Amino acid sequence: MGKKLSCDPYNLIIAGVGGQGNVLASRVVGDMMIHQGYKVTIGETFGASQRGGSVMSHLRISARGGFSPQMPKGKAHMVVALEPMEAIRVLATYGNPKVKALCNTRPIQSVGVICGDQIYPEKKHIIQWIESLCANAGFFDTTKQALDLGDSIFGNIMALGALAATGDLPMPLNIFKTVISKKVVPAKIATNLKAFGIGMELIKDKK
Amino acid sequence: MDKNDKSSKGQQGININVLKQGLCTGCSACVNLCPSMEYYKDKTILLHDCNLDKGRCFTYCPRAPTDFEMLRRELFDPEDMVLELGSFKGLYMTRATNENIRTGAQHGGTVTALIQLALAQGIIDEAVLADNNDLLLPSAQPIADEDEVLEKARSKFVVSPTVSAFNRISRAGEGKIGVVATPCQAQALTKMKVNPVLEDKLRMEKLKLVIGLFCGWALDWRKFQKLMKEKAGDFKIKGMDIPPSNHACMEVYTIKGTIKVPIEEISNCVRDDCSYCFDMTCEFADISVGSARSKEGWDVDKGWNQLIVRTSKGAQLLALAREKGVLEFKKVPDNNIEKLKKASARKKHACLMNLAQKTGNWDDLIYIDSGDPVVRHIRGMNFGQQ
Amino acid sequence: MLEAKKDFEALLMGNDAIARGALEAGVNVVTGYPGTPSSEIVEQLAKVAEESNLYVEWSVNEKVALEVAAAGSYARLKSMCVMKQVGVNVAADSLLHIAEYGTRGGLVLVSCEDPGALSSTNEGDSRPYAKMMEFPLLEPGDFQEAKDMAKWAFELSEDIRNIVMLRSVTRLSHASGNVIMGELPKDRPKAAFEFSSIPMDQMKGPILAFPTLVDPLRRRQLEKLSKAEKIFEGSPFNKYTGPAKPELLIITSSVCKLYVQEALDILGLWERVGLLKLGTTWPLPSKLLEQHLGICEKIFIVEEGTPFLEDNIKALAAEKAKQVGIKTFFGRKDGTLPPVNELNPDLLIKGINFILGESYQFVSDEYKAKALEIIAAGAPVRELTFCPGCPHRASFWLINSALKLDNRAGFLCGDIGCYSLGAGPCGFSTIKILQAMGSGMGMASGFGKLDKFGMTQPIMAVCGDSTFFHAVIPALVNAVHNRSDMILVVLDNSGTAMTGFQPHPGSPSGAIGTRLPVLDIEKLCNSLNVRVEMGDPFDLKGTRETMLDLLEDGGNPRVLILKQPCALSPIKKGQKMYEMAIDANLCLADLCGCNKLCTRVFKCPGLIWDTQKEKVRIDEVLCTGCGVCADICPAKAIKA
Repeated sequence: MGKKLSCDPYNLIIAGVGGQGNVLASRVVGDMMIHQGYKVTIGETFGASQRGGSVMSHLRISARGGFSPQMPKGKAHMVVALEPMEAIRVLATYGNPKVKALCNTRPIQSVGVICGDQIYPEKKHIIQWIESLCANAGFFDTTKQALDLGDSIFGNIMALGALAATGDLPMPLNIFKTVISKKVVPAKIATNLKAFGIGMELIKDKK
Repeated sequence: MDKNDKSSKGQQGININVLKQGLCTGCSACVNLCPSMEYYKDKTILLHDCNLDKGRCFTYCPRAPTDFEMLRRELFDPEDMVLELGSFKGLYMTRATNENIRTGAQHGGTVTALIQLALAQGIIDEAVLADNNDLLLPSAQPIADEDEVLEKARSKFVVSPTVSAFNRISRAGEGKIGVVATPCQAQALTKMKVNPVLEDKLRMEKLKLVIGLFCGWALDWRKFQKLMKEKAGDFKIKGMDIPPSNHACMEVYTIKGTIKVPIEEISNCVRDDCSYCFDMTCEFADISVGSARSKEGWDVDKGWNQLIVRTSKGAQLLALAREKGVLEFKKVPDNNIEKLKKASARKKHACLMNLAQKTGNWDDLIYIDSGDPVVRHIRGMNFGQQ
Repeated sequence: MLEAKKDFEALLMGNDAIARGALEAGVNVVTGYPGTPSSEIVEQLAKVAEESNLYVEWSVNEKVALEVAAAGSYARLKSMCVMKQVGVNVAADSLLHIAEYGTRGGLVLVSCEDPGALSSTNEGDSRPYAKMMEFPLLEPGDFQEAKDMAKWAFELSEDIRNIVMLRSVTRLSHASGNVIMGELPKDRPKAAFEFSSIPMDQMKGPILAFPTLVDPLRRRQLEKLSKAEKIFEGSPFNKYTGPAKPELLIITSSVCKLYVQEALDILGLWERVGLLKLGTTWPLPSKLLEQHLGICEKIFIVEEGTPFLEDNIKALAAEKAKQVGIKTFFGRKDGTLPPVNELNPDLLIKGINFILGESYQFVSDEYKAKALEIIAAGAPVRELTFCPGCPHRASFWLINSALKLDNRAGFLCGDIGCYSLGAGPCGFSTIKILQAMGSGMGMASGFGKLDKFGMTQPIMAVCGDSTFFHAVIPALVNAVHNRSDMILVVLDNSGTAMTGFQPHPGSPSGAIGTRLPVLDIEKLCNSLNVRVEMGDPFDLKGTRETMLDLLEDGGNPRVLILKQPCALSPIKKGQKMYEMAIDANLCLADLCGCNKLCTRVFKCPGLIWDTQKEKVRIDEVLCTGCGVCADICPAKAIKA
């Protein structure tokens, strides 16, 4: 087993919208942890993800296991949000004054916003709100870098890189490489490694 | 916006104050302005909800609250006003000189002759007329060719989407347009013409002539079609008429001969919204045309029309018709004006009664201003036992 | 993960674990009908069908799926049948008879249920079938158990020679956790059906449910149930944790075990509370329960679904009142837990504290209040919608328009699939009745006969292609035979789209990918001698005419098949039919004359209302180029 967890269980939520690669990201973290001997429970809501719904994965990482796939309210240690509005949604239920957040600030608008029924809040407000609900929050917009790599979906791997950089969870690059190599076609391994590397630099720049 | 906001001046206002009240006549003024209102069979359909608090549908609807007195002032010479009949420059009995027109037309063929004349003289480039393809369910078509006018010449007992056809061609083309309209359709065209919303100003200038049709009521297509299926089966219907008589029947002419349908059965098919109509003689037209009545009896009268000239434009057209010999004239019986006034007042009175009954309040006549001088006049009249 | 070796520890989804367990048991025949949260089990096994010598099929419906699996069992093969909770109702008639007779090869019915109706139209609980039809029921409590109990279910079935139900729930099926693999068997059994002996010879006689045989069959069935109970008394899947004399005994099953554990961890109550976790929930292990009921006066029963354990344990406690004493029960019935909806650790914390008079607060009220305020301002709900380019959006646009134009208060009976969203704003709220699979057509058949009572509303029903085969055919036959006045619209999008494109009898290949004969919906309908029309939902003008004409043509059942593949379907994905463009000069925006019809009403996510420019624009990434919005724009500002 790798180094001791900062908390046991370590409660991580990865949130986003259908199509953002949320499920893959949570599986990669889970596999990385299992690879180091931890027990992991992942609870996922992806019933209607293809149809524009919110998608959320609860990861419970522990040395002993037996944790619920539904995280108790207010118990998150870290929220990784691939979409800013989803960060707020998750923090409101699972946040607490000590929670940390990593958040991609590029919005994915809901149908209500697209059709003009609802207004998507301004970025500065969202950042302000997220900061007010967290002990520590890091923000980034990976859209451009991800598109440079060929697909906006690489934002999910970049977010994992950012998570690794926090040092809260043991997520060394070599284990990422082992795990991602089993999940994607060989041609895509290098790009994913690059995305992970970009992600590791995201937060250092900002804070 | 609150879906039940009665004060909406947009589609919601139409829905609450007109459609749901059962007042919509199917004049189709609100159709072909936007994709949310459509016309199907003989009904105006609210296809998609629209949340604008102001819309042309409401602005032009003849059954949305309307200041008729203002429209009269804008359109007519105050000197010509007759309370029961609207603007009145004269009553005539006419028929088309051309016998072919008379044979093909419902009665005297006056409307056909006038429209042909207006087209030939370049007064208008196009005329919007109810189609004849399906007598039970007319559509409305623009016609630019004089000869084609004849093909549209028969009376329709079901309303046609005439104003929507006008909306369509007035937005597209360049030419001057004439419309043959029922009273509700003429009212809608007048509301458009007098008070156009900005983007409609240009196209409303194209409206050069409105020939109105006297109208007692229209039939509901679905009910009427069902009745005709019972009466005439699958036989092709060539025409219909309701001769005046104490034992009135509708005569339905089929290739198998004439079928007589008791008027009570026809009355059951009348659109409910027609009982809220305040206009029999199509007051908001340049010329209004109806069937003739005289002592000579129906066999003679059915070959003639009675006609009211309302505007100087109408008077000019009629003069031109006389000059060119496209119409024949005969003397109007002395008491015909009084008879017409009485019939028109009767309809107006029934309308007011029905509206007041709906609201339970003589001061709330839904779309008609209770202070309108014509309303006040009609309310003051004594109709005795009816 | 299905090829992993013994003792390898991996992160497995509950459904993958069940599939792995079946493989470790040596399953031969796997059948099912797709339904969330069950579909992955059959899909995973289909992937390894060739190398593991499995027969895997997506059957036409759950009843047939169970019969096909039963045939495998009767031919002495190990068979598994997989469905979601509602499927068990479809299969119930056959299930009763299979359970009455018993099995030969191991036969396991997997029911994946959806407490909280996360992706269902109901919270169906199939466990009472086990009691009603007298067969054993297993409920795994975690991911390892999902695998181990799936394997064990086959052994148990062969031990007692009857069908065994394995019940999972969404939070197990769709969650993941550590699973240590077991051995995969190598033997390849030979199938044969024997009928040489007398009917009561279970392994060699003909299988007959005759009235005269019911008495001996049911006696035999009850003996099997007793045998199962004896086995359950010592099962390692029933486990007590806690003090010898706790203040409170919690009895639970399924994934609730994890919720209780977590609640006791958080509250630090392991010293005071005992936990009896049951993996075998029918028949109840009565001796084990008697023993544990005796240790404590307060009993808290925690389960997903209906009060199945609660009622049956109460009955048992009454029966054993002399031995165990008088108990006070807590659970869903007394309000300690909510009577409906799924459970979670927070509800358990609340329930346990209620019973023990304790209190707990982790996050301050102040933080919660702040969070509530922010979410109200900053996170509007993400409404579900049809995907960009989804043919259903166009189909409902058409049906909604046709019914409105027809103007006789006509209505649409819906069915189960993506198109159930036709009841919501993205489907213009067109569906007015939505219940079970196939029931839209059945109810339309009924409404269409009510003319003699003055009902004049036109009746329409929709179903998808997979649903057509699943449950609509009998209802359509009923409507044809009884001359019901209605229109069936088949939304044929070439696959079972909702659950991930599983094939159906109209597909050219099956679960394993082998080429199979295609059943043509049009030909099937034509054979019923009713008016059948074909249409393309993307042809708004033409199809609307067809629909309006069908509405006028009353008196008999009529069928309209709208064919257009799902936007996500493998045959379509990534290909744009048109490159869409906007001429902003023509866009009428929110003026009278349009009022944003495309974004406000049609609401395809591929179109965005640009609040800055106040014009519509195309989202190049999301737009699939179906071209429908070009026909909706009244100003011709959207160009295909």
